[in-house]
Parts: sequence; C-alpha cells; structure tokens
Amino acid sequence: MDRAAEGKTYGPIAFELSSDRVAAFRTLFGGPPGIPPTILTAAEFTLLPTIVGDPELALDFARVVHGSQEYVFHRPLRLGETLSVEARIASIREKGGSGFLTIDMAMRGADGAVVAVARSTMIEREMTP
Amino acid sequence: MSPRFDDLRVGDAVPMLARIVTSEDVRAYAEAGGDRNPLHRDDAVARAAGFPGIIAHGMFTMGYLAACVTTWAGDPASVTRLSAQFRAPVFMGEELVAGGRIRSLDAATRTAILELWVRLEREGTTEYPIRRGEAEVVFPT
Repeated sequence: MDRAAEGKTYGPIAFELSSDRVAAFRTLFGGPPGIPPTILTAAEFTLLPTIVGDPELALDFARVVHGSQEYVFHRPLRLGETLSVEARIASIREKGGSGFLTIDMAMRGADGAVVAVARSTMIEREMTP
Repeated sequence: MSPRFDDLRVGDAVPMLARIVTSEDVRAYAEAGGDRNPLHRDDAVARAAGFPGIIAHGMFTMGYLAACVTTWAGDPASVTRLSAQFRAPVFMGEELVAGGRIRSLDAATRTAILELWVRLEREGTTEYPIRRGEAEVVFPT
C-alpha cells in the first residue's frame, strides 16, 4: 500500500435508509423494532469498492480482510432518510509485514450535521511464502 | 423485557444468543449488506484461499452481535457506539454464540459500557470470530 494516499477523500454519495433494507437486516438478524445499527455497513459499501480498487492505494485485494469496525452515533437513524456518505483515508500503517488501512466515513443528514461515523480497518495480509 | 438502568450492575451478563450459520443466510446478507466479495459467495474461490468453503462476512457476525445488544437494550436507537475486532473466520454450519457483560456504568449519563464477543467451538477449541467488542448504551430517564 502507498502511504501517500493518507487523507484522500471519496464521495460524498447518497445512501437511503430504505424500509426494504431495514426489513432485510431485521429478517436476517432479528432484534427489537427499529433500525439495526450495523445497517451502516451498506452505506459504507457505496464507497468501499471504489476505495479498495483505487490504484493510488495499490491494495492487493486478494489479501485483504476486515480487521475491525466501529460505529458511533450522534443521533438515532431515521427510517427513510437519505444520508450523505463521505470517506477519508485516516491512516495507512505497516506492522509485521501486514498493511493496515483505516477508513473513516462520515454520514450526514439533510441538515448537514453528522449523524454517524463509521471507522473500518482493512488488513492486507502478509504474503505467504 | 429490557432492563432498567437502576437495576444494572457491573459484571451483569448480556443474555447470549446462538444461531447456526447457513450459506442461505450468508448469501442473503451479501445482497442486503452490499458486500459481494466472492469469498462469501463462491465455494471454489473460498477453497482457493484455503478455507473449506465460503466464510461468513465479518459484518454478518457483527450484525448478529448487534442483535444480541439491541435485544438486551430493547431499542436499537439506544446504542450510541458499537465496535468489534474480527479474529477468526466462520464456516457454514457452525454455531455462533454472541454475548457479553457490563464493564462499567455511569449514573450521570445513564450509560452502560458493554464488553462483547462472538465465539464458536471448532474441533474441541473455542474460537473467537469477534473479540474485544464494545458497545455504549444510553438508557432513557
């Protein structure tokens, strides 16, 4: 991976918290009425393929695994609202032969205020001999 | 029945949820979550990567952990933070068990911090597809 891409941004792109999407998550995972918190992964995937495939990052996709994930909510999600999703490469690090790519995505509501922040770390695993 | 903040104690368990992972569910998740990586859809691709067949998405396992937390809390909107580290692959037919406990409580903000995990048994060994999971849950006044 190329560290020069730190700070690069992608988007914004619109993502709708549609009732169909919410119903699909609730059918799969259960839980009480409301919007399942990890539905924001679908918002992240509006941009993730672009980021992972960005030639400037030079990621070897075949070696990439999801290392960790965090969601922070500044207010509850609203059914049917459209979020504006913008990604930023927060850091690119190397440790023990593996690369660690941390991506922050801010999700904004119609008023422009941040509703939630998603932070994902992708690991580009060491080449196996 | 969701708990009342005043009844919570540090160390209390978050009730465990258990489910068997099926390829139908994982394929349905790929559509719902938008992650169409062939490692989670195509057995031949997964075998070429050294797995016995397709593996579940990390976010499939985390979605299930989220259900464990929201079921306990009673309202998904009360979860203000949720995090997980993915540490082991999950194969089809395996049983995921999600659970956790209360690490700390803040009476001033009526907030509970939970530590969370998802584990499974494989060939006599306990594996943790998710460890060091955390959630922050804010209870209504």
